[in-house]
Amino acid sequence: MSSPGEIQSASAHGLDIIKVEEASLGYGENVLLRDMSFNVRSGEIFTVLGGSGCGKSTLLKALIGLLPPVKGSIIVGGEEITGPDSANALRRVRRRIGVLFQSGALLGSLTLGENVALPLEEFTDLPKELVWDIVRFKLQLVGLGRYESFMPSELSGGMKKRAGLARAMALDPEILFCDEPSAGLDPVTAAELDHLLIQLNEALGVTIVVITHELASIDAISHRSLMLDREAHGIIALGETRRLKEESDDPRVQAFFRRQAPREEASR
Amino acid sequence: MMEYGTFDLKSTPEGDPVVVLRELREFDQVGSAWSDVLNFLKAERPKRLVLDFSRTRAGNSAGVAFFKAVELYCEQNGVELSQNAVPQVLEQLLRLAKSDAGGSAPSRTPLSPIVQIGAFAWDVVEEVHDFIGFVGLFLVRSVKSFLYIRRFRWKEMAYYLQLCGADAMPILALLSFLIGLVIAFQAAVQLRQFGANIYVADLVSLSIVRELGPLLTGVILAGRSGSAFAAEIGTMKVNEEVDALTVMGFDVVGFLALPKIYALVLAGPLLTLFADVMGIIGGIVVGIVGLDLTLRSFMQEAYMILTMPDLISGLMKSIVFALLIALIGCFRGLQTEKGADSVGRQTTSAVVSSLFLIILADAVFTVLFHVFDY
Repeated sequence: MSSPGEIQSASAHGLDIIKVEEASLGYGENVLLRDMSFNVRSGEIFTVLGGSGCGKSTLLKALIGLLPPVKGSIIVGGEEITGPDSANALRRVRRRIGVLFQSGALLGSLTLGENVALPLEEFTDLPKELVWDIVRFKLQLVGLGRYESFMPSELSGGMKKRAGLARAMALDPEILFCDEPSAGLDPVTAAELDHLLIQLNEALGVTIVVITHELASIDAISHRSLMLDREAHGIIALGETRRLKEESDDPRVQAFFRRQAPREEASR
Repeated sequence: MMEYGTFDLKSTPEGDPVVVLRELREFDQVGSAWSDVLNFLKAERPKRLVLDFSRTRAGNSAGVAFFKAVELYCEQNGVELSQNAVPQVLEQLLRLAKSDAGGSAPSRTPLSPIVQIGAFAWDVVEEVHDFIGFVGLFLVRSVKSFLYIRRFRWKEMAYYLQLCGADAMPILALLSFLIGLVIAFQAAVQLRQFGANIYVADLVSLSIVRELGPLLTGVILAGRSGSAFAAEIGTMKVNEEVDALTVMGFDVVGFLALPKIYALVLAGPLLTLFADVMGIIGGIVVGIVGLDLTLRSFMQEAYMILTMPDLISGLMKSIVFALLIALIGCFRGLQTEKGADSVGRQTTSAVVSSLFLIILADAVFTVLFHVFDY
């Protein structure tokens, strides 16, 4: 399977854990992304790149089952979440994925500990003491070990994101989706979060799909990337991130990686 | 070798127990192993323990929590713990857990009951203080709005008048009608015994116009409009829209609160008049259907008993109720802090505070009218 702008490479990662085939995404009549086909390999950190308004978050919504595609199919962890049995497939898939939302999306009426305990209490029959041991471990993992009893409103933006990551990782998911994890964070906190994602990827072998346009983050974490474009209504580049950056001859890809304004505007 | 639910038990040449774990792939398997191993330790109280992972290749976060729980138990009870063939994933996760550099959280010492009572009392004093400050600010901005009347946001006020006034009419009509109906029925049962059917008109008209019309309107306004004001301003605060207005140089109370307060103060008496009419219609229906009164006799009796002071006292109440509800709604909205739960808390608080204050104000009015014979 090959897409426009694809740069093929031999990968050290495993089988395809996410497969998107001929999928078009949009809202009602407004189709934002047309005929996309790509795959994400097990154990890799895959980044979805592109400028504002190109449909990155729409793609994420489709991958986590919040937005059914207009056409085409999406297979996550071997389950077709767009088929006739999509409701059951989604139920099975959601136990195996974690999602870190842009703002952390912690429930404001619960403490950090209770937020992280939520999926463990819902989806397992573990004894309460063990659930809280896991909660403490997860919060330790993201550097919030001493904030278990804090309310989300008492935390900074970066801490909320780290707590959101702890909740997303509560059940050791096979796939972790992150929506702009570094957005709105200072460079040091953003780098810490990137480091954390790399550690989780290496220690647990979690496949991580990151929606981002932060160049420093992309350089630090990404194995393979897909680039979307608003004008093209779909994928303009796909492949190993380093090679896309260095070898792609698409001016849009180069403009993105070099932080260049479009030529007409730049010459004004 | 003995077999337990989730592990096999062997022993070292020295006779110390070796717990050979079977499977730790799923979270629930770890949960069972956790219970079994801790129960075994509590029952057997060994001096040394070997945890053998050679039969489990997988590891997960629950496995880490399990391992740390056993480690803690052994540490606290003087059991010498050693492990064999720890899976790589588990080792890596344990290393990650130990590398927490989370810094120190602000300390939280639990407050004693006396301090909690004091803190609560202080919060109440502060709230009253803040509310009085807000009322003062409202008065100052009101004067300013009259001085610069052309800059007042009339369109906003018209919008809220529609939202809080006209849109509330159907539910208010239904409730007032039913209340009038119920009062007339209750009165009819008693008055019929004395052949005093006609006094149902007096009772219904007076109680609706002086008391229940304004009170019912106040309850509806508190539930519909006071809560809506608090939720709207609260959400704006959470989304930093209020901060944006402030830094752009807008006066938040003048810009956000005044149109709402004026609209509600105007809608209050109008809705009260409407509620009075609907309540009396409820009484008329019972009078005609259940007591053989005529429309003319009912209206004549009501006209004779009702005086202008009755109507004015009801309208005065409704203006004060509407003012209190609008002030509380806007005040609670502006008190909202971060997070959706804060919006919910302040909205609830707006309704509860409004209901409390309108009933308190009603009591004050009743005493004052009695003292001044109004």
